[in-house]
Amino acid sequence: MKTSRRDFLKTGLALAATVSAGRFTRALAADVPAAPRTILAAVRDGTRTAMLDRALAELGGLSQFVRPGQTVLIKPNIGWDVAPDLGANTHPELVGHLVKLCRDAGAKSVSVFDHTCDQWQRCYATSGIEPAVRDAGGIVVTGDDHALYRPVEIPRGVKLKSAEVHSLVLDSDVFINVPVLKHHSGSLMTGAAKNLMGVVWDRRFYHRNDLHQCIADFLTFRKPDLNIVDAYHPMVRNGPRGRAADDVVELRSLLASTDIVAVDTAAARLLNQNPADIRHIGLAAAHGVGTTNLDALDIRRVKLA
Amino acid sequence: MRRWLKPLRVLLAVVFFGVLSAAFLDFRGLMPTRLAHAFAAMQLGPATLAAVAGSALAAGSVALLLIVTLLFGRVYCSVICPLGILQDAIARLRPRRRTATRFAPENKTIRYGFLTSALLAVALGATGVAFTLLDPYSHFGRITATLGRTALVIGNNTLVPAAQTLGWQALYRVPPPAPPLGLVLFATIAAVTVAALALWRGRIYCNTVCPVGTILGLLSRVSAFRLTIDPAACTKCADCLRACKAQCIDLRAGRVDASRCVACANCLSACRHGGIAYRFAWRRTQRAPDPQRRALVAGALAVPPLAALQAVAAAPRRAPVAPPGAHSATRLLDRCTGCQLCVTACPTQVLQPAVFDYGWLGFAKPHLDFERAFCNFDCHRCGDVCPTGAILPLALADKRLTSVGTAQFERSRCIVETDGTDCAACSEHCPTKAVNTVPFRDNLRLPAVNESLCIGCGACEFACPVRPQRAITVTARATHTRAAQAVEARPQLPKPTGDFPF
Repeated sequence: MKTSRRDFLKTGLALAATVSAGRFTRALAADVPAAPRTILAAVRDGTRTAMLDRALAELGGLSQFVRPGQTVLIKPNIGWDVAPDLGANTHPELVGHLVKLCRDAGAKSVSVFDHTCDQWQRCYATSGIEPAVRDAGGIVVTGDDHALYRPVEIPRGVKLKSAEVHSLVLDSDVFINVPVLKHHSGSLMTGAAKNLMGVVWDRRFYHRNDLHQCIADFLTFRKPDLNIVDAYHPMVRNGPRGRAADDVVELRSLLASTDIVAVDTAAARLLNQNPADIRHIGLAAAHGVGTTNLDALDIRRVKLA
Repeated sequence: MRRWLKPLRVLLAVVFFGVLSAAFLDFRGLMPTRLAHAFAAMQLGPATLAAVAGSALAAGSVALLLIVTLLFGRVYCSVICPLGILQDAIARLRPRRRTATRFAPENKTIRYGFLTSALLAVALGATGVAFTLLDPYSHFGRITATLGRTALVIGNNTLVPAAQTLGWQALYRVPPPAPPLGLVLFATIAAVTVAALALWRGRIYCNTVCPVGTILGLLSRVSAFRLTIDPAACTKCADCLRACKAQCIDLRAGRVDASRCVACANCLSACRHGGIAYRFAWRRTQRAPDPQRRALVAGALAVPPLAALQAVAAAPRRAPVAPPGAHSATRLLDRCTGCQLCVTACPTQVLQPAVFDYGWLGFAKPHLDFERAFCNFDCHRCGDVCPTGAILPLALADKRLTSVGTAQFERSRCIVETDGTDCAACSEHCPTKAVNTVPFRDNLRLPAVNESLCIGCGACEFACPVRPQRAITVTARATHTRAAQAVEARPQLPKPTGDFPF
């Protein structure tokens, strides 16, 4: 099942890339056969739902990722017992809309969880994500139950050689990563790669054993099928928890790509950070799980207003 | 009227017992704090403490309870006190036929001995200890929270895999409460004692051990409506005696010992001859005999051990952190009865009962255990439920600034220093930014503490991955203070609006 989906995705992306690449005749003129370029959708100045719809359209539609009958996992950032306007968690409107789109695409089930930092029921409720997911027909699952995690080997990991990973990550057909973009006092930025700390049981292991390396190592085990970065009002200081509503600035942006490294590279730029300063981005690129070279991507820059 | 008094009593008792049991057993935070607080605050022990501390509402509760007792006797013991109702439930388990219930005289020595000890302890300033050891509601709380809740959570967790297999998401696993052994032991002894006494002789605990029962008993001697045997109607069939759980009906003398009668109305339902009834008694009040002098002596004898306990209350190694709203550990120890309602209401389980963390006097009282969790920034359920005012309710805005301790950073142990890698788990979790990071060598960020902003919530200590000794720890404040609030200008947009920086 997993392999067939991967193949399907590859073909789909290749097709989409080829079609889009048709415009770049000069690139095709080179004697090397054009590798299908990964799309990075960057949308500005719309509502969260409108930006998501447009980004998915640029990527060829959600049906490229979710086929009828598949089980979908959506992993937002629900780390903190904090209201949506403080920007510490992915916005519930975005998560709810994505759940609905997955349901409309025929997903058998759409599950949502995070291994939170604050007490999980409070995070789920205060973030607004639990009601939003329920209303959209998704399933909210706890990330606080050790029995739901299974040990896995990460052979290519430098520091993170094994981890206990939530069974939803291991068992779901489709894995969609929906982080919120924000400042982080330790890793400078929380984006797509950092968000995946919330699928392992022992978060302290990362902190104890080179945070950046562990974040990068995990990607050699499992990359999300799609990354959607909520940069509507990124938190620009006091992250990742935030202190007050004025820690966020309104940027009204959204990024989406299958390349987790590229999406974080672009996200760092949105935060006015040098991607090279955020070590896990470079380490992930070194693992070969994505590229920091945005020029190699097919970037779809869209302004909705 | 005689017939419906017992069903009414049972109905009310079920409501009180049900709500309070649910409050202590509730491991999913479903019980509204107001409801839990309201039912707990009606308990005489906590209400008295809160009234003394200046709560007008609590004073009203106490007055109401005393008036009800002065009118109808110990209705409190049968309807409101959860430990009393628990004993009735346990007593139902005994085989009815074989119990030869008969009148038993009062054991004044023990009964007034316990009361005198309790009063002396209060007089000597060991109020918190006296209530912890003797308040019936608090015993019930500890038994239910420590034993019942643990069993319930284990049961829940056993059922979860089956529920998940069925695709039923309503059940989820909850970390077992794991109360400290000392408290489990204490609650078990209390539970076994109460249960054994209830099986043996009904409400003997309430009528010999419980000082609340004794005080209400003294009032009941002179209550307005009292059970009276009508010698003309009574056939001395002893049906009432068999139904009586207090063994207080003396058929030979044709009298009911009002001080031990818990107003359960069982006898009224049992009597087929109309031989026993509530009668207005104020016109022919008999003088209650004074408690025997022996009892006073026995009580006095109990004082030296208590005084010794107080002396042993030496300063512990690391001062425990009292919950916000407690104001200080001293105040907490004085006003808390160790009922565990706050511990069960705490969503993160950072509130744990102390064993000897506060010294002997602090047994069973709540402290913040940062090994286990940290105090949620936007939560003050503990103060909302506390019935004694030991943890005062705080508005969320005040709670967020109430400083119960301060973080101490030990750079030599920090991973950023020792391993040269980023971490910031402490500052990541800090809700006030008292712990922030500053640029350090090689593009690293080192934690730094601003003590004036620190509220001592323990998030940093909990999150710190360094072992065995953590690099950041919280030290308790002897008296809680108000933290400063960081003032920051509005941040600038990271990039000019309207375009993509890539």
